[in-house]
Formats: sequence, structure tokens, C-alpha cells
Amino acid sequence: MLIALKSVLDRELKKTFRQKSRLLSAMVRPLIWLFVIGGGVGSIMPDGNSQDYQDAIIPGILGMTLLFGSMMSALTTVYDRESGVMRMFIISPMPSYAIILSKLASSTLAGLVQIIMLCILLFALQQINVSQLNWPLFIFSITLTAVACSALGLITAVVSKSLDNFAAIMNFVIFPVFFLSGALYPVKNLPIVLHWVAVANPFTYGVDLIKHSIDINNVSADFPLLVDTLMLGTFSVLAIAFASWKFSQEATLSTLINKLTGGKR
Amino acid sequence: MILANNLTKTYGNQIAVDQLNLDIPQGQFFGLIGPNGSGKTTSIHMLSTLLQATSGSITINGLDVTAHPQQVRRDIGLVFQESALDRMLSIEENLYFCAGLHGINKSAIKTRINSLLDLFELQSKKRASVGSLSGGMRRAVDIIRGVLHSPKVLFLDEPTVGLDLPSRRRIWRFIRNLIDDHKLTVVLTTHYLEEAAPCDNVAFIKLGKLVSEGSPEELIEQLGKTIVEVSGSNAEDYIKTLKLSAEDYMLDGRTLLIRVHKPQPNQVEQIQATLRDSADIISVRKSNLNDVFIWLSSKGQGTS
Repeated sequence: MLIALKSVLDRELKKTFRQKSRLLSAMVRPLIWLFVIGGGVGSIMPDGNSQDYQDAIIPGILGMTLLFGSMMSALTTVYDRESGVMRMFIISPMPSYAIILSKLASSTLAGLVQIIMLCILLFALQQINVSQLNWPLFIFSITLTAVACSALGLITAVVSKSLDNFAAIMNFVIFPVFFLSGALYPVKNLPIVLHWVAVANPFTYGVDLIKHSIDINNVSADFPLLVDTLMLGTFSVLAIAFASWKFSQEATLSTLINKLTGGKR
Repeated sequence: MILANNLTKTYGNQIAVDQLNLDIPQGQFFGLIGPNGSGKTTSIHMLSTLLQATSGSITINGLDVTAHPQQVRRDIGLVFQESALDRMLSIEENLYFCAGLHGINKSAIKTRINSLLDLFELQSKKRASVGSLSGGMRRAVDIIRGVLHSPKVLFLDEPTVGLDLPSRRRIWRFIRNLIDDHKLTVVLTTHYLEEAAPCDNVAFIKLGKLVSEGSPEELIEQLGKTIVEVSGSNAEDYIKTLKLSAEDYMLDGRTLLIRVHKPQPNQVEQIQATLRDSADIISVRKSNLNDVFIWLSSKGQGTS
């Protein structure tokens, strides 16, 4: 089991570093949000100080890197299914839940690699300071958030029929999860309907947990640390259980086999 | 080694496999043949733990496939018609990845991977990405992947589709060696019936049912060792003239194929004498597995 897990992680790392454009966009995307959106929106703030707003969205930008990095990686499960690579998994002695857990671990790793690279960039650009981070809590928060994002990606992957609806996934899953999370604005200031949507969004607690671990002026978390941890943990466990169940249904029933063989009898 | 009892798979009202019984001993090269949609792939997927049977039972090496799928998967290898390799990784990386999924670490499998790559003359390409390989090379890597963990049973689902003759011959030479040297049990489905000819035993399935089973020689013997082919513009009239029963002829366009299987002396000569003036060409040849396939596929229809 450990050897299998190591193989899956090894494959994910190789693929992450080989897909240069994916890695580059993982770095450029948050920087655009930080400097372009952060600068632009910050300039219309009442005091006109865009730096305050940029500082305020740093936890959200870090969360965004995890959301895109881990979720995109988990979504490659759909690619694995379409390209046939999933066959290597399903004919191995790994049980269904172990396949899902290994995909979860590899997606979490992909997200963490990307956030570490972004942190180095942000340190270099002096957007955050090493001393601003509560390191043990920061490592805990990004890891738990990456697990939750991977779990969300796996749910999406096991219910997605093909990569053709990738645009739909972006529009109906990733963007709403990001925008309704408190990544760009405090949840407590949102209108009531949006507030409750944000409360129901697991990613909200990931961003909030990261807020707990970074000491930035004028940035305060919306929920207590324990609530964030419990919500993310509960969501992750339920999501992994659902994804494992759904995957085992596919693996033992005909759906996945038909997908893999083109419906041949 | 492989025992299937009353194996049945249904999809709603549709029966894909209907009470299939198989008994395949260790070291046997077994062919599962039949027309498209006959249930070959469904059968292989049930035998290899990928699909649950609606009813019936399967044991492989004494283990119940439904109760112990993980343990069974340690003992079996499966090569699909389409490649299962990751095109972004190299040959070597794919093989190490696959070995890892079977719980085998790099140091334990390195020598085996190198020797298998040598056998397929792929050593110099081992760092090339799978996406850059030819179809034949990719299929060779798929075969290596299938046998990497030294399975006791290898399922081959149309493994040589789309490959040129040298690639096919190299693959079959390798499989033959595995059977002879390691007592590997091989279950093959193929559309190339000449590839099923070296099988020790062949089962012919049609509409999910086992229609006939035996060694290729036995199946050919049952069909009749000789085929008479008569071509002419009145092929349908020849049937009446020769008073052929439906199971003894096949009409393939303007060609009438007649199987000679009854212990009737001079039957070939009689056909030749009767049709000499009206037929364009009358040829006599030995029957083969293709004839068995065609006859069994359209049994009782009289046409191909």
C-alpha cells in the first residue's frame, strides 16, 4: 500500500513539473489577482490605499492556489479515465478506497508544491514576510485546505462524465467556490443570502484557517479556528467517503468498464 | 486454474453472457472467440474481476473472484485492446509506476524490467515518452506491463489489433515462451483467427452462449476437413442441384462454400462432376479455423 502510494505521488510530481505551462499559470494567476485585481479594487477603497486591500486578499490568493492546484490535479482523474491510465489502477490489487486516497494524496501534494512556490515568490516580492507566518499553523492550514480542495475535486471527477464539460466545472464549481468563500472580502460583510452560501462553502473555512495563520494588519478571521478545522475535516471525510463509494460502484458495476472499453461486449 | 460455472451477465433485459462454463487448467493457452457483440470482452472482464457477474461463480487459482478480487488481481495480468499507459511518462516510468501499484518497489523490479525491455529490443528507448512510440512499441510495453508482476494468468483482449506482422510475431513469440517456460495460463480473445490456431483449446461463443469448445484441430474436424468452393452466376441453384442441407453450405456472394464432413466416399468428386459444366471455378482446400468461425457465426442461416 505504501509502495503504491509512493508510486502515485511520484507520478504526480513528475507530471506537475513536466507541465511547465500548468505550473507557470499556477504562479501567474494568483499574481494577476493580487496585483491587478488587488490594485484595481484597492484603488476604489474609501481611503484609496490599494496596499491594504492587497494585503487583505493574500490569504485568499494562497487559498486560490490550493483550490486550483489541488482541484485541477484531482480532476486529472477524469483524464486518467478517458486516456485509459485508470485501467492500470483498477487492475492493480489496490482496493477502490485506496485508489481514491492515493489520488487525494497526490492532488494534495500538487497543491502544496504550488503554494510553496508561490510563497517563495511572495517572499521575494516582499508581499509577505517570513515572520508574519505562524509556521506550524500555516503548514496545518494549507495542508488541511489542500486535502479539502482535493476531496472537492475528486467528487467532481467521479461524477463528471468527460473532460468535455471542463468549462462547466470551471464556471459552476471552481469560480463559485472561490468567489463565495471570503477570499476577496470578509464573509461577515456579505449580503445575507451570499453570507449563507459562503457559510455552506467548505473552501470558506480553508481561507479562514489561512487567515488565522498569517498576521496581516486589518485582516481578521470570520470563524474560530476550531470551527474552521472541524468544518474542513468533516467535509473532507464525507467527500472522500462519497468519492470512494461512487468509484467502487463504477469499478464493480459496468459504468467505468463501458467507458474504458467503449461499450464493447 | 480458472473455473467458471454458469457465468451470466445481464444488462436490463439484455443477456450479454449466458450460463458460460469454462475449465482452463494451468499452463493452457485458451482462446475465446466469437463475432462482435458475442460477449467475449464481458466474459474477460468478469474473469479478471473488473465486472461483477449477475449470477454464477468464478474461481482463479482456488480463489473466488467476487469474494477476493484484490488477491486475485495479484495473480492475473490484463492487456486491453487499447493502451493503458500514461503517454506523458517514459516507458521506464510507466513500468515502475505499474510495478508500484502492485506493491513492488523499484530495486526489486529493475532487473526484470531491463530483461523484458531487452526481449522487445526497447532498452534504448526506455527513457522515451510513451506518446512518442509507434503503435507496435506501445503495445509491446503494454504486454510487458501485463506480465511485469509475474502473474499466473494473463488475459489478452485482442492484443494485436492494428499491429504489423513483425510486431505481432514478436509478441506471440514472447507469449509462447511464457507459456512454455513459466506455465503461464493465457486467455486470449482475438479477431485474427490464425492467432487462435496455436491455442490448446478454443471456446466459441455466440450471443453470450458457449456454442462449441475443443482444440482447434477438433473444431476443424467437427466442421469437416475439406471445403469445396464453387463460384458461378447460379450459386443458389447449385444448392438445389446438390440437395445440400442448410448446415452444410455457406453462400458468400457468388461463391458457394460446401463443407465435406460426412463419411461419404467420393463426395468431392461428385460435387465436381455435377457442377463441372455450370460452375466457373471449383476449388478444393483444407478447412481452417476461419471456416469454423464463419460456420458457427451463422449456423443454420446458410449465408455469411
